[in-house]
Amino acid sequence: MKPLMLHGHERAITQIKYNREGDLLFSSSKDNKPNVWYSLNGERLGTFNGHQGAVWCIDVDWTTTRFMSGAGDNTFRIWDCETGTEIDKAMGHNCEIFIMDVRNVDESLSQADPILKIPIIGSRVSSMLWGALDETLLTGHENGEIIQWDIKTGKKLQTAKEHENLINDMQMSKDSSMFITASKDHTAKLFDSDNLMLLKTYKTERPVNSAAVSPILEHVVLGGGQDAMDVTTTSARVGKFDSRFFHLVFEEEFGRVKGHFGPINSVAFHPDGKSYSSGGEDGYVRVHNFDPSYFEYGFDY
Amino acid sequence: MAKKKIEDKNSHNGEYIKNDGESSSNEEEPNFSDPEGYVDDISNEDLLGDLLRDKPKETDGVESVIVVDGVPQVVNLFTDFSKYEKIPEKWEPPQPQPYKGQTDLHYYLLEPDAYDQFCVVKAPGQGQSVQIWQNTQPDPTLLEDRQTWTHTYVKWSPLGTYLSTFHKQGIALWGGPNFTQYKKFSHSSVQLIDFSPCEKYLVTYAPLIEINNPDQMRIIIWDIRTGQEKRSFNPDAPSAWPIFRWSHDDKFFARMGTDILSIYETPSFGLLDKKSLKISGIRDFSWSPTDNVIAYWVAEDKDVPAKVTLLDIPNKAETRNKNLFNVADCKIHWQKSGDYLCVKVDRYSKVRKEKNETKYSGMYFNFEIFHMRERQIPVDSVECKEPIQAFAWEPVGTKFAFIHGESPNISVSFYSVKIGQAPTLLKKFEKRACNHLFWSPNGQYIVLAGLGANGGGSLEFVDSNEFLVMNTTDHFMMSDVEWDPTGRYIVTGVSVWKTQVDTGYWIWSFQGKILKRINLDRFAQFLWRPRPPTLLSEEQQKEIKIKLKKYYPQFESKDRMRQSKASKELIEKRAALMDKFNAYRQKKIAEYNKNKPRRLELRNNIDTDELDADKENVEEEVVEFFVKEEITQID
Repeated sequence: MKPLMLHGHERAITQIKYNREGDLLFSSSKDNKPNVWYSLNGERLGTFNGHQGAVWCIDVDWTTTRFMSGAGDNTFRIWDCETGTEIDKAMGHNCEIFIMDVRNVDESLSQADPILKIPIIGSRVSSMLWGALDETLLTGHENGEIIQWDIKTGKKLQTAKEHENLINDMQMSKDSSMFITASKDHTAKLFDSDNLMLLKTYKTERPVNSAAVSPILEHVVLGGGQDAMDVTTTSARVGKFDSRFFHLVFEEEFGRVKGHFGPINSVAFHPDGKSYSSGGEDGYVRVHNFDPSYFEYGFDY
Repeated sequence: MAKKKIEDKNSHNGEYIKNDGESSSNEEEPNFSDPEGYVDDISNEDLLGDLLRDKPKETDGVESVIVVDGVPQVVNLFTDFSKYEKIPEKWEPPQPQPYKGQTDLHYYLLEPDAYDQFCVVKAPGQGQSVQIWQNTQPDPTLLEDRQTWTHTYVKWSPLGTYLSTFHKQGIALWGGPNFTQYKKFSHSSVQLIDFSPCEKYLVTYAPLIEINNPDQMRIIIWDIRTGQEKRSFNPDAPSAWPIFRWSHDDKFFARMGTDILSIYETPSFGLLDKKSLKISGIRDFSWSPTDNVIAYWVAEDKDVPAKVTLLDIPNKAETRNKNLFNVADCKIHWQKSGDYLCVKVDRYSKVRKEKNETKYSGMYFNFEIFHMRERQIPVDSVECKEPIQAFAWEPVGTKFAFIHGESPNISVSFYSVKIGQAPTLLKKFEKRACNHLFWSPNGQYIVLAGLGANGGGSLEFVDSNEFLVMNTTDHFMMSDVEWDPTGRYIVTGVSVWKTQVDTGYWIWSFQGKILKRINLDRFAQFLWRPRPPTLLSEEQQKEIKIKLKKYYPQFESKDRMRQSKASKELIEKRAALMDKFNAYRQKKIAEYNKNKPRRLELRNNIDTDELDADKENVEEEVVEFFVKEEITQID
């Protein structure tokens, strides 16, 4: 499995995301310019230029016509995917959730009022997901809490406190009935997205920055590693900057992929499940196509 | 009366009140008296129970009465009179106490598969605990897990009979099938202990003077079986632990002072021949592990050379003397079987004095090998120009190994000793990353280890018969290496006492195959339970070695059964997990399918459930990628 090394960023990768079909891979970095790549060969399609701060989170809509990014310059911006031009931006505020109507987004966005504002009192939001059928919103918090919100009323529906530390990333399973969390408490956990029931726990010895569920197999992948600021040794080996594969049901680790020489900040499965990518503090995005042996391997039970 | 007192106080503090302002002086004193007819609903016991406890009792008075009767001095307590008056006329023989059997302290040695035990200490933090495990195959079994069992660390007795735990009040010994308390030895703030080799005596040391108990002696020697204090000492100067060193048979123990060696006898605990030995310039001493022989060395003094001496005990006869020149330091290493003694000598070419400090330069090193079992104890010398990092005798066998050189040119050399022959170099491994040597307790196998941050946690498993490196690996930041007493397993540990990250212990086979990695938060200490020496004679051991082939099939089938049982259990566990998960998923999938119309509604009736679910709306886009460029020159 020789990975494609995507080197278009000058600083640490913060998040990577495939579009729905998986032909494109979006990446954001602390260098202010999100990138988009062909996932097949790693050719860069273009960049989204305009932010004046590290870009922390990105997303693409299901039709791959609009791309969105949130950054340290206190703005979120919506871009036209095809041309890479900014449609409009809006200023953010201290931890508040805005729900905006962007079905027909245009340059009036910055003047438009949010449909709903949810002020966050207490621990700040560190990750966020739409629930299935767009009825709920799931937020992961700095104190390890997960909250499910009703987006009609903006009320808390449920909370779950299963993590002991910041939740850096949350990703849905293919059918959105489950989601996986990645936490600084060295674990990733699988939850039911309706009732927030804890289903599974995947344990490691290092902070987990990102986790994803395979769309085709009962596998999850975890990325993380010792925090860059806590790395006291130069040895990449002990920093444990490997992608780690666990069985979804048995919670047993069965494989690791080496390569990054810093912590992994984001992992994502290709929607067809035949490849996955990881983005690291080292500034590289690595696209890995699975070998046939990966699909042949099975657990006895 | 009370009123008057208050008035007195006021007048006394008059000035203060004035300064404080008028408010306090003008205020009327509140009335604390109970209204008439008030009944107190609190009993005196509730209100001032603690005071009532000190209320004088009638018996106090009686007990203080003494009766002086007769000459010269017979003093009786008055209460004794009433006691003796009440003695019954008829004597009843006391009931025999039911016999309480001692717990079987050696039960663990009867384990049919000879599984060893080990103990794991978790440092205080989120819950101090001590765990006892049995190293069963394929997975160890937890026998005991007790919270706050010890205050600091634990120690096994040398034959493995007792586990000692440290407490503010003293030492507790535990043993038997359930680790019940065997004895307690009260010694406040005890920090160090040492067992005598046969486990008869225990030495406890509390180096700091207790504020609450300044008369407490700092060193106490106890009889383990009776729990009695045998003798106590206050050492005058701090010195290397153990301060008291025991002969192999518990018959003698000795300590060193300035120009003096004191040898004590047991069970009298008096000085041998009632006096200490005067040895001017004595620097260190060590007992032979098998005989009552002491080896000591004295430093050089002007023109008198340094000297290593062997002393027979109890007759104090010097059986061998060896003069050594230009000596900076010596280290005494006995071979475990007592056949050989090695004295590592640090020698110098030049010496100069600088402000009371002696500085040596041009260092070189010698190993003086004493052939203890030969007539007149011949001595051979092995020289090494490079600094020595570590030295170790093969516990069973005739080899010794040492690490020499300076980083990055570290080498490990192996020598063999034979009766009537000078030591011969067997093998030299060059460019190694190690700083410690760990021989298997049965010899032959040795682990070269790099402990701590400098060593990088490197591990090399060597078979010293053919000097075959069986495995080279590492355990990063490793702080401890522990062979099990049978030489079958070896454990490497990263202790929280040394480093904070990735603490835990790993179990390896003697060949260097990793068996278990146990990452344990706040892991501090790992100790195998020692075993007493084998009861089989040498012939019996040889016979077993010859017949080993006969036992193989038996062991192998046992191993296979264990393995298949374990894998069966794992597969059953997985199958159960899978069944449970599938049942959960069935419900979720049904729900998902039911919601399909709503998903379509949200996405303009386009089915996005699968990548190719909506074949009609697929637009094929042809993208050409630049793959390769080839330039061919045509002439």
